[in-house]
Amino acid sequence: MMMLYENFRLALFSLKANKMRSLLTMLGIIIGVSSVIAIMSAGDSISAKLSDTMEGLGANNIELYLDFRDDYDGDYYYDYSDLMDHDMVQDFADHFSDRLKAISVTSDVGAADVKDGTKEAKVSVTGGTLGSFLIDDVKLMDGRFFTIGETDTAAKVALVSSKYVDIMYDGKNKDALGQGVNVEINGKSYKFTIVGVYEYKDAFAGMGMSSGENVRTKLYIPYQTAQSITHDDYMVYFTVMAKQGVDTDQLTKDMEDFFENRYYSNNDRLHVVAYNMASIVDEATSLINTVTIGISVIAGIALLVGGIGVMNIMLVSITERTREIGTRKALGAQNSSIRIQFIIEAVVICLIGGLIGIFFGSVLGAIAAALMKTSPMPSMRAIIVSLSFSTAIGIFFGFYPANKAAKMDPIEALRYE
Amino acid sequence: MEGESRKPIIRLTDIRKNFFIGTPNELKVLKGIDLTVYEGEFLAVVGASGSGKSTLMNIIGALDRPTSGGYILDDVDVISAKDSELSGIRNRKIGFVFQTYNLIAKTNALRNVEMPMLYAGVSRKERTKRAEELMELVGMGDRMKHLPEELSGGQKQRVAIARAMANDPAIILADEPTGALDSETGRMVMDIFHKLHKEQGKTIVLITHSPELADETERLITLKDGEIVGEREGRRYDDAV
Repeated sequence: MMMLYENFRLALFSLKANKMRSLLTMLGIIIGVSSVIAIMSAGDSISAKLSDTMEGLGANNIELYLDFRDDYDGDYYYDYSDLMDHDMVQDFADHFSDRLKAISVTSDVGAADVKDGTKEAKVSVTGGTLGSFLIDDVKLMDGRFFTIGETDTAAKVALVSSKYVDIMYDGKNKDALGQGVNVEINGKSYKFTIVGVYEYKDAFAGMGMSSGENVRTKLYIPYQTAQSITHDDYMVYFTVMAKQGVDTDQLTKDMEDFFENRYYSNNDRLHVVAYNMASIVDEATSLINTVTIGISVIAGIALLVGGIGVMNIMLVSITERTREIGTRKALGAQNSSIRIQFIIEAVVICLIGGLIGIFFGSVLGAIAAALMKTSPMPSMRAIIVSLSFSTAIGIFFGFYPANKAAKMDPIEALRYE
Repeated sequence: MEGESRKPIIRLTDIRKNFFIGTPNELKVLKGIDLTVYEGEFLAVVGASGSGKSTLMNIIGALDRPTSGGYILDDVDVISAKDSELSGIRNRKIGFVFQTYNLIAKTNALRNVEMPMLYAGVSRKERTKRAEELMELVGMGDRMKHLPEELSGGQKQRVAIARAMANDPAIILADEPTGALDSETGRMVMDIFHKLHKEQGKTIVLITHSPELADETERLITLKDGEIVGEREGRRYDDAV
């Protein structure tokens, strides 16, 4: 224990005595460790951000849609008779009612540009059920959602985005409520009354990007209203939200099986696919982790090269200090003491290099995180891995030179000029 | 000062050392050395270069093993000792003083003196205390924190002598300790050896090629071609003291 402390002190002395050389030797380790740390923390913050963003999109949401079978080689067009109708969805909803919190059936009516003098806002008119607001995570800022009465009677009411209000009413939500929206779809004009304003969320904001100033936002109208415009009673997909505590993976599979077995087992063109956000988040996260580890391994090669540099300089140092080694042996140093002295010197070089590397790596990681507008994640895992890896490199690459020193013949070492 | 009444510290019997054994160039450097050194004795080994002085010193200093022969140092059989035990013998029983001082660079004088105690496992506090005492003893009390490169040759050699004394060894083995010094500083170093011998009762083996220095010791033996060819008392031993 005492020898260990003395050896650390000695190693520090020897590093101080050759500052420039020590620094250059450490450089390999510093670069290797900083790259590993920077890559790992950047990877961690990306996957954390991704999970956040994806969960915002609804981790409990399951989407079910019709897709052409892999072995189908006919024309890719939808035949209305093949699609899902409302009875099927109602049947499904009854069957799964104990596990479902909401169902969202949407209908894309069409895109339109709303003009008022010089002001112009782009909207896409979307018919939705009350469940759509829950599933799309629509946050009401002012006004209200549709009433049952309005949905049942296919009333001409609408919810607009805060972006729309920014453009048309200078961001004054109260001014927008009760106002009309005139849209032209397929050559016909429709007028909706604004009953609510929802908060516009830029889906790309989290990634450090923006969708631009005049982005097209959704104008929600009741699903029945949309149908009265499109006369379209069939659907290709719908989305549900599972109740809290329900196993979404199991539910996803059950939904797929239910629809497939009941309606599409004999259909040679279409089949049913269901997927949930959680599994997509998992897949994306594991992909990012794989990439991170892959790049880290490449950065690890820099560490290895750094280790070889350490070994090289230790060999030089030992040759230079041959007389010192001989003297220490004459004064009674055991071979093991000499070996430990030089191994510790190599370990100290690597550890100090590692600590500096962790510092620079964390700074780089923080800069990367700032550029991506994510919070920096100094990865504890990366720090522990780097420190143990540096120590291991010190021991591994220090051993050969240290052993060479330990085995020197004291007489020849003392005679060395 | 009758030698026979004192306890033998070094007993060398028929020490032989051959190099390049089994080759046509086999070299017999020591050809049967019998030598006994007694406790508290100040002995000089003189001889021209190539006489086997250095080889004998390496064997006495437990740095090298003889090809054959017996060696008992302070009741320890050096011949049968393992390599790790030889380190312990060098550490505790022998204090080396080299011609070229061999102080550890970038390490201050006090820490140099502490070094043998470090390998002996002496606690830090005790090491420092003992090293300070030894530095005072050799008259270097005011230069404890100086680095070797900041000291003159004579000062370095005094630090080296203090270091040799660190673990209170059975013998001090000095190999040409004044060889690199001018006569004045060499004189000062020799005075320290006399002081250690007189006041501390140290056993000192001085290896030198200088007959004048050897004459200051109690007894001097002359080595030639690997054999002891002469032995007599120092002529000026009493003057020097």
